[in-house]
Amino acid sequence: MDAVLVADDVRRTYGDTVALDGVSLSVAEGEVFGLIGPNGAGKTTLVRALTGTTDADGTVTVLGTPPSDVDTQRVGLLPQSFTPPERLTARELVAYYAGLYEETRDPEAVLADVGLDGASDTWYENLSGGQQRRVCVATALVNDPDVLFLDEPTTGIDPAGRRALWGLIEDLADGGTTVFLTSHSMDEVERLADRVGLLNEGSLAAVGSPTDLVTEYGGETRLVVRTEAGTDAVADAGFVVEADAETLTFHDVDPRDIGPAVEALERAGVEYDSLTWKQPGLEEVYLRLTGETFEGRRSRAVAAPTGGAE
Amino acid sequence: MSRLKRITSTTRAGWHSFLRRRTAVFFTFFFPVIIVAIFAGLVQTQPTGGGIFAEPPAYYIPGYLAVVVLFTPLSRVGSEIARHRDGNQFEKLATTPLKRWEWLLAQTLVNVVVIGLAGLLLLGLTVVVTGVSVPLEPATLLLIPFVAVGVALFCGIGALLGNFADSQDGVVAASNAIALPLLFLSETFVTPDLLPSWFRPLVGLSPLTYFARGVRGLTYSGDAIGAVVTNLAILSVLALVFFAAGAVTIPRTD
Repeated sequence: MDAVLVADDVRRTYGDTVALDGVSLSVAEGEVFGLIGPNGAGKTTLVRALTGTTDADGTVTVLGTPPSDVDTQRVGLLPQSFTPPERLTARELVAYYAGLYEETRDPEAVLADVGLDGASDTWYENLSGGQQRRVCVATALVNDPDVLFLDEPTTGIDPAGRRALWGLIEDLADGGTTVFLTSHSMDEVERLADRVGLLNEGSLAAVGSPTDLVTEYGGETRLVVRTEAGTDAVADAGFVVEADAETLTFHDVDPRDIGPAVEALERAGVEYDSLTWKQPGLEEVYLRLTGETFEGRRSRAVAAPTGGAE
Repeated sequence: MSRLKRITSTTRAGWHSFLRRRTAVFFTFFFPVIIVAIFAGLVQTQPTGGGIFAEPPAYYIPGYLAVVVLFTPLSRVGSEIARHRDGNQFEKLATTPLKRWEWLLAQTLVNVVVIGLAGLLLLGLTVVVTGVSVPLEPATLLLIPFVAVGVALFCGIGALLGNFADSQDGVVAASNAIALPLLFLSETFVTPDLLPSWFRPLVGLSPLTYFARGVRGLTYSGDAIGAVVTNLAILSVLALVFFAAGAVTIPRTD
């Protein structure tokens, strides 16, 4: 498929701060590309570089032309931290942005799509945070864009609303809309994105499908046991076990190995509150590639298997 | 047609936004009442000397009108730009077909209507409170383009302020710092003979001077229509320059 978005060696600095450090990527027509990364990684700057709302070095093309020449009728943008005129109703806001385009969808239908048909006569400032964000999403959809940039679209939206919006984005992608999505929700990106880019300190650390990224960087499956017992108790269980103050973590535990692991705990007389088997996901990829980690693991002991697993 | 649609849509949004800020609406129209009440009602003019205002009441009509034509667009457009910038609205608008000058024109149209109404209120109050008479003749209708062009000019300057100030507070402070000297040094309330001779030529540098001269020619001194139109022409050229400068500086990028 043709590349709808192309960035080649895109760089952007603010004073001494490097926001983008040679980012290159391409997004195909109808693809949902998810961009993840820590706060300050450069996600919003990359969206701005792609939409031409920041002056970046390098080459960017959108629909085959530089952002400054692109047919704006075909582009939709939801900026991060977007606050539209606050004393317009949801209906008036969508109608306002519809009025900026030659051809638009029916604003009422767009409001219904984002689940706001029941609150369309409420001033923006009187809507809940999640409803406000949904109005903002509606303003990005009203021109029925071919390329849609969504910078953290579901921030502040409740779980039901988030899932409704995910369904809407999936429908748009199924209809051929190219979506460039940034998010801090790994669930969201894992569900929606065909490919994911992980941006860290201005550089793309990894790009690939969620499955490929998890396979390559996600690490092994784990069995997490909430207990105060140390690794000594299960040292001869045949697993690599890691302990901190509140948990024992059995690494690389296949589902069929859960039973033997539990038996080892029972044999050792370990008392525990809960057992959780975890498959790696994008969150593990994110944590591994960004070098971030959970807080609270103060002291840690590791027990390696002394013999072969039985 | 689509350009008209864009400007109409933006104007409508700006109009509703303004009307729903009750405090802003109240003080926009209360401001002229305060001005007339203080200067025309309390201080009053004393043509025989001894007061602040030594000219006949009608002399000060341009000054009263200048208060709303000058202050309101400066602070309103400047603040609107700061608000748009803070809410990343320009970032979004930059990806729509709306042009920067179309956005500023829409804001200007809202201001022209609001300030036109406030100016009408102010003129009516001045007539009632001071007893002055405004000539009822076709030429007096030129007051409308004077107000409209004056508003456009100061909307342009307001846009410049909004772009250079980094916050809404900054806009208010900057607009006051610019508006106050202009108000008193543009042949509005202070007659030129009260100024040092070396300063008098500088009065011609203020755009508000041409507004004041033109409006005074229509409402008080009975200047020849040619002189009035000349002032309107100069004001129009300045309005075009400042409007264009203001539009160009409206941000499209971060």
